[in-house]
Amino acid sequence: MFEELSLHILDIAMNSMTAGARTVQITVIEDTRRDTLTILIRDDGRGMDAPTLQRVSTTATTTKRSRRKPIGLGLAFLRQTAEMCAGRFQIQSAANAGTTVTASMQRSHVDRPPLGDLNATILTLCAADPAVDVQLHYRSDGQQFDFSSKKHAEQTPARRSRIHSER
Amino acid sequence: MNLEQLKKLKEKAQRQVALREGNKKYRVVVSMGTSGIAAGARDVMKTMLEEIEKRRLDDVEVRVAGELGLEDIEPVVRVEETDGEKTTYARLDAEKTRRIVAEHLEQGKKVDGLAIGKEKNPA
Repeated sequence: MFEELSLHILDIAMNSMTAGARTVQITVIEDTRRDTLTILIRDDGRGMDAPTLQRVSTTATTTKRSRRKPIGLGLAFLRQTAEMCAGRFQIQSAANAGTTVTASMQRSHVDRPPLGDLNATILTLCAADPAVDVQLHYRSDGQQFDFSSKKHAEQTPARRSRIHSER
Repeated sequence: MNLEQLKKLKEKAQRQVALREGNKKYRVVVSMGTSGIAAGARDVMKTMLEEIEKRRLDDVEVRVAGELGLEDIEPVVRVEETDGEKTTYARLDAEKTRRIVAEHLEQGKKVDGLAIGKEKNPA
């Protein structure tokens, strides 16, 4: 089990990377009035057909061929956390149509893990594959923050060249 | 979680992009599957990127891998060199990660106490 929600996010987003996603969109919505915390991880990877989707939703599954024993506990972990915190877990996918994982929780629930170090999660994903556009959309009672690694790289070419010239 | 912290992320990500480009002498692969993450691979990754940046090591690139099949000794990092030599370090934490960067990646000396198994040299 993970002690931080941001570790769940990292784990699920790593699945997206493995599925060949070019864009991984992470959305975190905190709503104190409705007392909910919702996490969405959406990718444009290869997705899953109906039987696979059925399987990952119910049992520990890995798609890794080299595996002898099934490990694949990532989705099960997140589902457990969501359901433990009076929330819901949902996974939508179709072959060649990407995957969206949604987990909601009661924000004030005593068992709800803290969001944790979301920065470290995003940095790790950015480093994992520079070609993937890692996006973070954070919403909290009217406040918002948006990050896109692709947009960010395009917007700051000057800074990058300066780093190289410092060598 | 606050917005101030998130905004710092933009700057940081940009500097660290430089670490991952081009053909480097060392390629560091951090195992980032479910078991790795549960054991602390994200902190190892974070420390690795910070130390490499701090020491301005240009000849290192950092990548991630899924499960490497070493679930019981995570977090695991593999250092690959251009000559094909591979060294696997296991049961890491931030402190051990700093040693790997300082000794192996900066000075080119393997950290004997931390490496596991026999190094493979396919050449």
